[in-house]
Amino acid sequence: MQDAMGIILTDGEGTALSELSEVRTMAALPIGGRYRLIDFVLSGMANSGITNVVVAPKCKYASLLEHLGAGSPWDLQRENDGLCTMPPYAGGERKRGDMGEMDVLTGLLPYLKKSRPGYVVLAKASTVLNITFGAALAFHKEKEADVTVLCHAGGGDSSRFLVAETEKDGRVKELLLYPHHAESQNFGMDMYIFTKSVLIELLEGATERGACSFLRDILMQNQKNLRMYAFLYEGYVRHIDSTAAYFACNMEMLGEEVQTALFGQETPIFTKVKNRVPTRYGEGALIHTCLVADGCLLEGSAENCIFFRGAKLGRRAHIKNCIVMEKTCIDVGCRAENVIFDKAALLREGRTLRGTEEHPVVIRKGAII
Amino acid sequence: MRDTKCLAMILAGGQGSRLGDLTKNLAKPAVPFGGKYRIIDFALSNCTHSGIHTVGVLTQYRPLELNTYIGSGRPWDLDRNRGGVYILPPYQKSGEGEWYSGTANAIYQNIGFVERFAPRYVLVLSGDHIYKMHYGKMLDFHKAKGAAATIAVIRVPWEEASRFGIMHTDSEWRITEFEEKPEKPKSNLASMGVYVFDWQILKKYLILDAGDPASRNDFGKNIIPAMLSQGEKLVAYNFDGYWKDVGTAKSLWEANMDLIKSPPRFDLYDPDWTVFSRTEALPPHFTAACAKISDSIVSEGCRVYGNVEKSVLFHGAVVARGARVVRSLVFPGAYVGPEAEVENAILGSDVRIRRGALVKPSKEEEIIVIGDGLSCVHVCENTDARTKNGGI
Repeated sequence: MQDAMGIILTDGEGTALSELSEVRTMAALPIGGRYRLIDFVLSGMANSGITNVVVAPKCKYASLLEHLGAGSPWDLQRENDGLCTMPPYAGGERKRGDMGEMDVLTGLLPYLKKSRPGYVVLAKASTVLNITFGAALAFHKEKEADVTVLCHAGGGDSSRFLVAETEKDGRVKELLLYPHHAESQNFGMDMYIFTKSVLIELLEGATERGACSFLRDILMQNQKNLRMYAFLYEGYVRHIDSTAAYFACNMEMLGEEVQTALFGQETPIFTKVKNRVPTRYGEGALIHTCLVADGCLLEGSAENCIFFRGAKLGRRAHIKNCIVMEKTCIDVGCRAENVIFDKAALLREGRTLRGTEEHPVVIRKGAII
Repeated sequence: MRDTKCLAMILAGGQGSRLGDLTKNLAKPAVPFGGKYRIIDFALSNCTHSGIHTVGVLTQYRPLELNTYIGSGRPWDLDRNRGGVYILPPYQKSGEGEWYSGTANAIYQNIGFVERFAPRYVLVLSGDHIYKMHYGKMLDFHKAKGAAATIAVIRVPWEEASRFGIMHTDSEWRITEFEEKPEKPKSNLASMGVYVFDWQILKKYLILDAGDPASRNDFGKNIIPAMLSQGEKLVAYNFDGYWKDVGTAKSLWEANMDLIKSPPRFDLYDPDWTVFSRTEALPPHFTAACAKISDSIVSEGCRVYGNVEKSVLFHGAVVARGARVVRSLVFPGAYVGPEAEVENAILGSDVRIRRGALVKPSKEEEIIVIGDGLSCVHVCENTDARTKNGGI
């Protein structure tokens, strides 16, 4: 897909992840034992043969930039094009703190103008899926669309903030935001394919008129003037826009069907590789239905858990339905259920923590309980 | 230690024929180890940590997988503009070309390569040992002693001494005598096959040796004795740490078992001495509801539904429901079928152990080896016929 380029926008609607999004931009959210949320969309673009991808973070992007590096895990570390990261900058009339979504997008205008591809895949980094964009792009070209809104048919818990009411041929009649009643089952995935010239025109027009929101001021405002189509994607899709959604998605990854849908395809999910030792299971380890990354030391018992790199589970500890991020240590004899432990947390000997499925307890990065 | 002051030459050309089927299609340094490593990772990582950034890897036997694995050297920080890692196979020169006839011959044929970097010192080491060593300290010792060559030595149990090249030294660590695999060893200081040479001196002896048709062109058999007999100052550098030559299936198995003892005899978890390796982006390993894993090492991409005890599962290995894997190594991509039993064995890469199979040595102290890609039902002895014929 040399005729398409990618733009990945970070953040999104989600400060709804409170403690987890306090220390990092959403795109850098650790998920599934060794990935970060951006890995799914980024791998999708790389697997589609897109070799020109720009990632435009808004804030708290230190760990994201470190994770992306020059793009080599996605084969995007190239002499020609490749991965470009564009942290926002304050320059000219733009004041710091004024950095909305539209500012980020219009900041990309010079890059868009000098890039060769004629189509743009624009996506937010907040979705878990294993996708290639070839089919959607072919659809876009066939319909001679200005913009194609990628949609999924619901099912599972994926977000329903955007609904596309369509004709039979997929032409979008109306876009609805958080609709009270919607007949259609086309839920927007926050992913779009644009004909580049159209996108440039829209962006230039919008800033002149003080636009703030891409969805409202660009897409919805211009619905009537655009050849807008909806493409229905039928694979597994989970939108991460709340702590509950994040927790549920991780728990789903413990099921083999979802594992196959995400990690068992011909198109792998790439991520930054870190050199670590393999995981050790101790003498009394009782681990059931868990995903375990490298570098862990497991001596206790765990059920339905996800262990990130370097996590430690002490002897006689019993945990269930937990997400244990990098370098977190669950000491001897602890009990935990429905807890999300951010990185480098410590649950001291003998402590107990219990949340519920809908309201898991979130332990901040570095916290000592 | 700056780039071209000291250059390393890693001898990685051997077949390791005592590893049998494991090296049928694979050079010994490329043999998997410890769940996610290959044997050569230790020599390469030692170079990285020692600040040696120019490394030649001499390959000869079945180099494809090894060469692909090393690539441009990125995992070991050896993908560099100045220096870096170079794969050095034997090559045709105008008029003639020959295979490497011995360890010294391999270096001799690459004098041109070494001269490009004009190093003062050359570190020669083998790519098939498991150990952590700071070569910079050995180089400092070499310089302090004003030696022509320094040989790293390690004390070995007396009953094993006759397997090694044995050094006799004086109280200043100067080598006075050298015996190659002596029947009645007079000392138990064994050569580790790690040498530091003054390059100009080594070059001289390599050229002399190349001109001797009776020579085996081997460091231990020819170069070192020649230097000694000419009165060059050779010293021994005493190494005091874990060192394992994994040249036989049994020692390879033992070295892997050393990793899971509690505490481990060889600590891979040393934060100051990470062992680097090239790894793919595999998902985290999955331990199913019916799985039972204890006292083991499990790598990424594995899927475990059965029972695993005191074993090492390499990346992508699969243990099916009801299977039992005990005190064994399961190499990358190998599959242990439902209800199968595997004990005291090394399962090669991509091996398939069929449903209900039994792989267990009938003799104590033996380790069954199933070569790469084979498919088995019942194995209790390592016999050539059984492993050669593949599916049984």
